[in-house]
Amino acid sequence: MADCRHRWDMTDTRFGFVVFEKCYHCNTIRTFFSTEETPVLWDKYREGDCFWSRVEVAQSFQFDLKCADCAHIEKFGDLMGFLFCTSCMDDCEVEKLQKKHEKDRTWVLVAFGHFPEVKKNPIPQRKLDILTDYFNQRRDTSRSRVKIVSFELIKDLPRCKGVFIHDVGMLSEEPPKERKPVF
Amino acid sequence: MTTKELIDKLGLEPLSKFEHREVNGVFISDMLSDVMTGAQTGNLWLTIQTQKHIVPAANLVDVAAILVTGGKEVPQDTIDLASRFNIAILSSKLPTFELVGKLYALGLGGK
Amino acid sequence: MRTIKEALDATVIEGEDVLDSAVDHVYASDLMSDVLAFGKPDSILLTGLATQQAVISAHMAEFKGIVFVRGKTIKDGSRKFAKDHRLILMSTELDMYDACVRVEAVRTGGGNHPPETVHEDRSADVLLQHEYSIEGSDFGSAGMLSTEVKSMLKTIGFDPKLVRRVGISTYEGEMNVVMHAKRAKVFLTITPALIEVVIDDEGKGIPDVNLAMEKGFSTATEEQRAMGFGAGMGLPNIKHNTDEMELTSEVGKGTKLKMRFYI
Repeated sequence: MADCRHRWDMTDTRFGFVVFEKCYHCNTIRTFFSTEETPVLWDKYREGDCFWSRVEVAQSFQFDLKCADCAHIEKFGDLMGFLFCTSCMDDCEVEKLQKKHEKDRTWVLVAFGHFPEVKKNPIPQRKLDILTDYFNQRRDTSRSRVKIVSFELIKDLPRCKGVFIHDVGMLSEEPPKERKPVF
Repeated sequence: MTTKELIDKLGLEPLSKFEHREVNGVFISDMLSDVMTGAQTGNLWLTIQTQKHIVPAANLVDVAAILVTGGKEVPQDTIDLASRFNIAILSSKLPTFELVGKLYALGLGGK
Repeated sequence: MRTIKEALDATVIEGEDVLDSAVDHVYASDLMSDVLAFGKPDSILLTGLATQQAVISAHMAEFKGIVFVRGKTIKDGSRKFAKDHRLILMSTELDMYDACVRVEAVRTGGGNHPPETVHEDRSADVLLQHEYSIEGSDFGSAGMLSTEVKSMLKTIGFDPKLVRRVGISTYEGEMNVVMHAKRAKVFLTITPALIEVVIDDEGKGIPDVNLAMEKGFSTATEEQRAMGFGAGMGLPNIKHNTDEMELTSEVGKGTKLKMRFYI
C-alpha cells in the first residue's frame, strides 16, 4: 500500500449545500454540509451566549478519493470547499504563493475545512498533497498545474476577500451576480 | 478540433487572451459542483454563468475553453481573470440547446 | 414526452400517466432566473439542478416537464408539488450534452405534434378579492402563494398567457419578500377589466427605486451580498410581464409593489 503511487478517482460523490452561519455576538463563523433541500436562510436561533444566523447557503458537493490501483480510500468529508485568492492583501502568504507560482503556470487554491473544527484540526498537509495530486492527475501537467494549500496561510481571515468555488444564488430567480465573501 | 477551428466554424467570439488548444468533448452545466465532479480536461464547457468564479473552476478542471451561451454578457473582470490564467472565454448568441446540434454536427462527442 | 423518455433511457419520477403530451421547445439550463425570463410554455427543461425551486420555476414558466440529467433526483416534497401541478419529472443518467444530442435527434426525426388546446369558460363578471400573507425567509413555502394564485386564475378561466404573466410576476414578487423582507400582505383583486396584485411588505425598503429597476442591479447591502442573495430583484422581469407596475418604498419601513394586468 505504501508503495502504491496512487491514481485517484472521485468516489461517493454527495451533492448538497454548504451552510454558513455567523454569530453576531462573538463574530464567529460556523459551517456544515447538508443534503437538506431548502435550508431556511436568516434562520436565527440562540445557543448559550451565541446568536446564530444563516448568512450563506451554497450548492456544493462532498467526495472521497479512491485509488484505482490499490483501492485505498481517502475520505474528504472534512473538506468544506476551495477558495480562490483575489489578491486582496499583498503580504498574505497565499497571495505571495500565487504570484510566485503563476510564472510556472501553477494555479493555487486554498482548501478549507469546516468551521470551527478546522481551527483545531486543520486538514493535514498529507491530504492537501493528495488533493493536489488528484487534480494534477486530471490534467496535462505540461500545460499547467494546480496546488492546493491550507487556509492557515491566509494572513487575516476576517479580512480575506477570497471567493469560494461553489454556487450561490442558484435558488434565486435572479441571475447570480458578483457576491462579496463571507468572512 | 482546436479552439481556433471551433471559433471559425461556429462564429464564436473570443473574449479573453489565451493560447489555442485541442478540444475533446463537451460539458454542459451552470453548476460549479457538477463541473468539478464531472468535467474532463480539454472539454468545451458551455454555460450561462458569467461570474468570475467560473475561472478558477475552469482552471481546477483544466477545460479547453468556457463557452458562454445565449449572448450573455461577460463582465470585464471575469475576462481579465481568464486572460491572466490563459483560459479561453468564448461567446455565442445561440442558446445552449442549439449549439449542441452544431457541435455534434462538427463531430464533437460528450466528455 | 414519451419519445424523449425513451431516447434518454430515463426513469419517470412523476407523471407516468401524462407522458403522451407533446412539447414544443427544449430548454437546457441550471439557472432558474433564465428559465423564468426566457423559457417558453409547453417546453421541456433539461437540468442538473434537482431542487424544489427548479420544480416551481418550471411550473411557473409553464413547462410540461423536467428531465434531471447526470442521474440527479429530487426529494418527496418536490415530487408532490409536481404531481399536484401535473408536471412531468424524469431522470436520466446521461450527461447534459448527450441528453441534448438525443433529444435533438428525436425532435428532428419525429413528426409534428399539435399542441393541446384548452377551452375554458370566461366569466368577465367575477369580482374577487383575496388577502394573503408571506413570511420573510420562509424558503420552504416560497412559491406556494403564487402557485395558489395561478391555480385559482386558471380555474376561473382566464387566458393562459395572462395567467402565466400573473404567475411569473407574483412569483418574482413573492421571492423578493422571502429574500429581502420581514413579511408581507398580498392583495389580489379581480375586476371585469383587470387583475391587480399588490404586495405590501415590512422590511428595509429600497433607497433608490429607479436604480433598482435597472436590469440586474441589486440594492442589497454589503452584508446581504455576503449572504449570497443580493442578486437583483426581478423587477425588470416583473415590469416585462405586467401592464402597469408601481413600486414605492420607504427605507426602514417597507416596499409596496402594485401590479396590474389587463384582461
